[in-house]
Amino acid sequence: MSSAPPAAAAGLHIATGADAEVHGAPTALAIRGLDFFYGKSQALTAVDLDVPARAVTAIIGPSGCGKSTLLRTINRIFELYPEQRAEGEIVFEDRNVLDRKFPLSELRRRIGMVFQKPTPFASSIRNNVAFALSYYEKLSKAETAERIEDALRQAALWDEVKDKLDASALSLSGGQQQRLCIARTIAVKPEVILLDEPTSALDPISTAKIEELIHEMRARFTVVIVTHNMQQAARVSQKTAFFHLGSLVEYGDTSQIFTNPRVERTKDYITGRYG
Amino acid sequence: MSARQLRRRIADLAAFAFACAATIFGLVFLFWILWTTFRYGVEALKPSLVTQMTPPPGEDGGLLNAFYGSGVMVLLAVAIGTPIGIAAGTYLAEHGRFSRLAAIVRFVNDILLSAPSIVIGLFVYELVVRTMGHFSGIAGALALAMILLPIVTRTTDEALRLVPDTMREAGFALGLPRWKVTGQILYKAARAGMLTGILLGLARISGETAPLLFTALNNQFWSADLAQPLANVPVVIFQYAMSPYDQWHALAWAGALTLTAFVLALNVFVRILARKGNSK
Repeated sequence: MSSAPPAAAAGLHIATGADAEVHGAPTALAIRGLDFFYGKSQALTAVDLDVPARAVTAIIGPSGCGKSTLLRTINRIFELYPEQRAEGEIVFEDRNVLDRKFPLSELRRRIGMVFQKPTPFASSIRNNVAFALSYYEKLSKAETAERIEDALRQAALWDEVKDKLDASALSLSGGQQQRLCIARTIAVKPEVILLDEPTSALDPISTAKIEELIHEMRARFTVVIVTHNMQQAARVSQKTAFFHLGSLVEYGDTSQIFTNPRVERTKDYITGRYG
Repeated sequence: MSARQLRRRIADLAAFAFACAATIFGLVFLFWILWTTFRYGVEALKPSLVTQMTPPPGEDGGLLNAFYGSGVMVLLAVAIGTPIGIAAGTYLAEHGRFSRLAAIVRFVNDILLSAPSIVIGLFVYELVVRTMGHFSGIAGALALAMILLPIVTRTTDEALRLVPDTMREAGFALGLPRWKVTGQILYKAARAGMLTGILLGLARISGETAPLLFTALNNQFWSADLAQPLANVPVVIFQYAMSPYDQWHALAWAGALTLTAFVLALNVFVRILARKGNSK
């Protein structure tokens, strides 16, 4: 990354025009004064961020800047580890999700997450999608089948797996496994989808497929994607937030961040001076 | 070749020769035992072994009641020990991952794992046999279950801890509750390891003699009553091998061969299972 040329010279495709038009969109998640701690060390400091609904928001920044931590705070998955703790507010439909009273099951159904490495469960392709689905909804066999097909279609995986739904999910390629994880998340009809470097373990072709998918997801979901790949952020997002050392440095329309950053540090990162 | 190279060469050869000799030394005894068991056991292997009861001195007979008693007690022990062991292992690996209590329980379980089996026999003797007033198959099964329990606990704990955290996170990120993540996702991912533990435990308790001496004792006759003393292969082998009668010796060899073959087959099966589990 350190020797990458400036964004314009690198020929980055930057979402512009109507594609970038998210002004006036309602806020899906309002992050207010968020601090995060791993034991005694602070990973996020006073983060304020409005995530617009039905848009793709990219979170970029050098390794260890807290971008994955932010994502892991939104669905409270960090609570699996007792030494981790978040303070502040993340307002989702007038309720603070960090409030202990907010039911985790509801939170995580409505805010889904896809991880860096594909994490298929050691079961059939069908079961991978059906697990959570059958937990949340009482569906007939036919309805379940329909919902599974629907989710797999939305994840652009249906045509590849429709004849082997009972095969082990572990038999799929890495890219297919990742799309299965997306299908699994989509199946329970979330409102927000968190993507934590979803393509960093994949080859370029699988990456392209997933990026295409992210474009389509925007019509139905609020998407927050963490990526260390700036070209990817430029390609898929309408809003970009740049983090450094646990603080939000700059946040704005993707086109503005990549062509006309206001903060010197953002410019340095985007032009590859560090990171 | 310089002197130093020569010295190294000689040292290397010496180490190699020593390692080979040590290996052969160990294997010789293993095969000696297997061969002796096989040679004497095969001679006594007759259809009557599985059709007749243990005979009085000087008569021909079989080991039917002993096979039956062993089978029932081992299966009962597995039925008692496995669910408790899996539950305990699940607690250690999942619920108590970050707790001090779990660390203590794990340590105590390891002690139980290496406790002499005769101590467990005596414990059940005090607890069950003295209370009931007589030896019984139930007491035997309980003693075997107590030997199986720490094995299953340990292997379940280890198999679950081998499942990467990303799998847990993926389950929880779907909003699934812990019981569902554990029951439907983690157990599936860890099943080869867990099954291996149960089968290894089964193999271990099939040959245990000491805990049965104090609990199930033995029975010369056919009895399916678990509340009564129950015949079983290890104790029959023990008694018959110590006796002065040739027919009894032959039956002891046959019993030893059957038991050895069973445990060996189970171990081979576990190996195959583990390999299948790993290659996935």
